[in-house]
Amino acid sequence: MTKQALLQKFAPAMRPLAGIAAGLAVAAIIMLCSGYHPVAAFAAMWTGATGLEAGPATSDTMIRLGSGHINLFLLAQTLAKITPLLFTGTAIAVGLRAGLFNIGAQGQMLMGALFAAGVGALGKHSAAGDGSINPGLHVLLVLVAGAAAGALWGALSGVLKAYRGVHEVISTIMLNFAALDIIQYLVTHNMKDDAPGSMSAQSPLMAQTAWLWPYVHGSNLTAGILLAIISTFAAALFIGRTSTGLQIRAVGLSPDTARASGIDVRRITVLTMALSGAIAGLAGAVEVMGIHHRYVAGVAGTAGFDGIAVALLGNLSGPGVALSALFFGALASGSGYMETTTNVPAPISEIVQAVVILLVGIKAAIRFRRPGTKAERKETHGISG
Amino acid sequence: MGSAGNQGFWFTALLVATLNGAAPLLLAAMGGILSERAGVVNIALEGLILSGAFAGAYFGQHSALIGLVAALTVGAALGLLHAVLTQVTKMNHVVSGLGINLLAAGATRYLTLVLFPDGITSKSLPPAFYLASAAILPAALAFVLRDTRFGLRLRAAGENPESARMAGVSILPVRLVAVTLSGICAAFAGTFLSLGETHTFSRDMSAGKGYIALAAVIFGKWNPAGAAVASLFFGLFYAVQTQLQIRGLNINFLGVEWTSPALLDMLPYLMTLAALISVIGRATPPAALGQEEGSAH
Repeated sequence: MTKQALLQKFAPAMRPLAGIAAGLAVAAIIMLCSGYHPVAAFAAMWTGATGLEAGPATSDTMIRLGSGHINLFLLAQTLAKITPLLFTGTAIAVGLRAGLFNIGAQGQMLMGALFAAGVGALGKHSAAGDGSINPGLHVLLVLVAGAAAGALWGALSGVLKAYRGVHEVISTIMLNFAALDIIQYLVTHNMKDDAPGSMSAQSPLMAQTAWLWPYVHGSNLTAGILLAIISTFAAALFIGRTSTGLQIRAVGLSPDTARASGIDVRRITVLTMALSGAIAGLAGAVEVMGIHHRYVAGVAGTAGFDGIAVALLGNLSGPGVALSALFFGALASGSGYMETTTNVPAPISEIVQAVVILLVGIKAAIRFRRPGTKAERKETHGISG
Repeated sequence: MGSAGNQGFWFTALLVATLNGAAPLLLAAMGGILSERAGVVNIALEGLILSGAFAGAYFGQHSALIGLVAALTVGAALGLLHAVLTQVTKMNHVVSGLGINLLAAGATRYLTLVLFPDGITSKSLPPAFYLASAAILPAALAFVLRDTRFGLRLRAAGENPESARMAGVSILPVRLVAVTLSGICAAFAGTFLSLGETHTFSRDMSAGKGYIALAAVIFGKWNPAGAAVASLFFGLFYAVQTQLQIRGLNINFLGVEWTSPALLDMLPYLMTLAALISVIGRATPPAALGQEEGSAH
């Protein structure tokens, strides 16, 4: 391969890599200015993210590697952080392929978590959680419930966009807050945890037949990550290789042209938002099945919003989203470890994330749907604030 | 069933709580109108409020006035950043807004832990100052938009930039000024939280107020008076919510507790969606909102 061909092949990766480098550089400068040692901080971040530590292995979750070892627990926690980001990054990328900016992945994920927790609590014998439903079937039912709830919440924005011209950014912002309120109501009323002594706003414990179990003892890493990887690549194949996927891309390029060539733009809009919501809903389901085993406040963290950074940095492609979820998951996990070992506040990772978004977003290869003709503009009301 | 005196107290408490709830929304909503009427989507209001609250508290430890000036400066800088990113580098308005919100959230959390991990106490500004500002600003903004040359240009930038350019108005400076002013308004709203209401800063203090202010802009149909009324309406919901909780009132119907705080909290969002789907009169945004100059052609 000639040098030029090589350059061309890796050109799409240059901007994301430059964004990451700039983000880390800004973090280093901020650390210096606030009296921390960036090299020590980044070293701690690396250890926290990869589990690579110096010194001999001292427990059975450590594997010797040369003169040091891999701490499997730390590595597992990083992979567990990556899991929801894979889902939400994919969800947002799917929407953007149709020119739809789904910033409601957070609300869809929460709805998915709630319904998964509800279906997961069915068939329970005792407060301890022993269940009567076949575990394979129960896990499947819970996943379907989570995806369906997310899909419905997403489709709502799709319908508002397709039939009433309400911009999806606004409707998803409102529906994110509405989801929080509805859930807050349900976990303090109809879906209240009725176990004796339970005071907090949470749903009842799920039956163990609906749990996903950790791969490394005490960690949050479950089979959810496999599901997340499958979802990411299945979505990429769906968008890239199927005729519906082609229609989604056509609508993303130009709704006018798509309509002129006989594509039902309204149907594609609703369908894409539902699909995007379903993937975000799965993120919520996997979190409650593997970690919390019930709905509790904070179950989604900020994964729904972090997914926006994941999708943008990943340039909306399957492998891109996977790599960028890897980076942001490692960053989040590593900065938590960094805070406990070097005292550098973990929110530095959010600053890195913001800088990356702002730099990568400058000329992001995103084709946002922009009303073309005057008539179209009237119909969709531009991109209403 | 209280005495007349109690009733009067109840009303006063409700009124005060309404005004306090509405003031930050109203001030930020005016910022939202400035930006959006000029054609720039501004979901950065949330981050601008948060930054204003932080700067106000941190620089207002010895003098509230210094805190206020610092907060407005930070708001102007971030507003200008949003303007430059969207207008000069042509970044998608939503991406820029989300980036700034994330930057504000991350930076204020980080700086809180570095600068004052044990909390902070700032001087205060009288609530009457904010209430007076909230009363004057919508009228002033309405006047500027309707009756001044700048207002005319601002509206032209948001409705029909092409014609404006043909008439010899250059859009870029108008939008830069409008979005910078928008940042100042939102940061001012933020100082209400830290200097007016509480005299301190706590993490994520804005708690979604920027998005509710945006809802007030939409519900008020992008008009200062409309957005002011919407803010008061939303403020009233919070006040009623608190009063119902204090008085332990609740209305049960069809097995749903309609007066629960969570369901009342949802009203502003549902009303905004209803306004957008024309249930309560149609809300139509400025025609060129969010579009790059000339991109539609």
